[in-house]
Amino acid sequence: MTYPKALIELIDDFQSIDDKMERLEYVFDLASEVNELPTSLWSEETRIHGCQSEAHVLLEIEDGKVSLKSGADSKLVQGLMGILTIAMDNLDTEEAKKITPDFAVDMGILNSLSPSRSNGFRNMFDKIMNELEEY
Amino acid sequence: MAIRDDFPILQRNINGHPLVYLDNAATTQKPSVVIEAMNEYYTMNNANVHRAVHTLAGEATNGYEACRTTLKSWFNADRCIMTGGTTEAINLAAHAWGHSQLKGRAIILTEMEHHSDIVPWQMLAESFGNELRYIPIKDDLTLDMEAYEASIEGAGLVCVVHTSNVLGVRNPIEKIIEIAHKNGAKVLIDAAQGAPHCKIDLNELGADMMALSAHKMCGPTGIGCLLVNEETFQEMKPFMGGGDMIETVTLQKSTYQTNEHRFEAGTPKIAEAIGWDAALGYLGNLNLEEQHHRLLNIARYVADELRSMNMTVYGRHDGDDSAVVSFLHPTLHSEDLAHLLDARGVAVRTGHHCAQPLLHRLGINGTVRASFYIYNTMEEAELFIQHTKDILERFA
Repeated sequence: MTYPKALIELIDDFQSIDDKMERLEYVFDLASEVNELPTSLWSEETRIHGCQSEAHVLLEIEDGKVSLKSGADSKLVQGLMGILTIAMDNLDTEEAKKITPDFAVDMGILNSLSPSRSNGFRNMFDKIMNELEEY
Repeated sequence: MAIRDDFPILQRNINGHPLVYLDNAATTQKPSVVIEAMNEYYTMNNANVHRAVHTLAGEATNGYEACRTTLKSWFNADRCIMTGGTTEAINLAAHAWGHSQLKGRAIILTEMEHHSDIVPWQMLAESFGNELRYIPIKDDLTLDMEAYEASIEGAGLVCVVHTSNVLGVRNPIEKIIEIAHKNGAKVLIDAAQGAPHCKIDLNELGADMMALSAHKMCGPTGIGCLLVNEETFQEMKPFMGGGDMIETVTLQKSTYQTNEHRFEAGTPKIAEAIGWDAALGYLGNLNLEEQHHRLLNIARYVADELRSMNMTVYGRHDGDDSAVVSFLHPTLHSEDLAHLLDARGVAVRTGHHCAQPLLHRLGINGTVRASFYIYNTMEEAELFIQHTKDILERFA
């Protein structure tokens, strides 16, 4: 599929980094990309299950566009949320629904993560998509 | 020749860095002699054990039973029942002994137990209504022995971990057994962490049952044992039915073997037993006591260095404790640190280490755990500390 421009740039960035430490460092930096969900709003409804750390996401639709707010106690996990924010935030809902998790494979980021973190990333994505389908 | 030269995997580079393997409390690496023994079995001796009269079956049987003989001698135990590991051994104890011997009696556990020494007893208690009592942990991370003594009346079994997989604390097993026996309770020791680090004499201790795994002492995964004294063995009832554990089978009724085989239904872990025997042979050629002191000194160095980096270290590293260092940074998440260390070739563990009640008692959800074994060196510990310092400078 055709990805949004910001996501294409992100995929290119990750593909150009070979060193695992630098990739992780980049994911850390992306933690600042999230629209922060304050811990006071973390709840069972916002919890991402299957993550080994505490991770939360709130999906809302404003004027037909996706609004993502998220947070985690792990900066690495929050960085993964930052990637999803770049991929989906402020996108028309119908456009967002077309996104598949393949972009993470194209990015190569899953290879830099442990299987449990990769699963956590997939759970994050699935939670957002499942909630999106309800709109 | 250095010990680490015997372990092929330690020659690996991970993410462009030499592997520093510090996840030994989860599983240890295997020396060439173990790999070769298992390879030799499958290449030259593979057959099923016990019944057939052909040469290969005899060789396989001798190899399998040799492991049992070595284990009984190593731990000075009357009986050795081969299992799939510590967890299966404790579940076997719960079913084969607990179901018939613990009716109406309390079971004493500790807050320090691994899940494998909690869940089987909770399951038994759900079926038979046993009261479960837990020995609390004091602020100095030792068991509250006064509380234990006060709770012993009416107990049929005390289950205690020899050495904590999170804290490395070695519990006062001798005293626990003395109090239990004085009050008519039996004792099961979870020695998954203790057995790899020191020689444990079951009969001298007077323990009734002891569970352990091969893979934490240079042996293969998938095999362990339940060591039992003769009195307890005679009280145990067969748990799993099937081939190899029977004497006769008719359409109406079966009779069972009288030796350990009565608890080893089905084809056993033959290659694994042969590998474990080779591991015990390898460890037997080392001075384990000397290794224990060397590794404890490394753990103390690591703990001190981590404290100097503002880490909280959980453990005391006393003379009999194991070389396990659990720690947390105040801001950098444990899993983040572990990922970053892995990018530098350092393998450590994170999470609850299958001891959630202990972590709950400590008021935390998880730790980073570095655990050391016979092939680890002070140079590796220094490298681990240097990588950790670098990571904190960049990410914390």
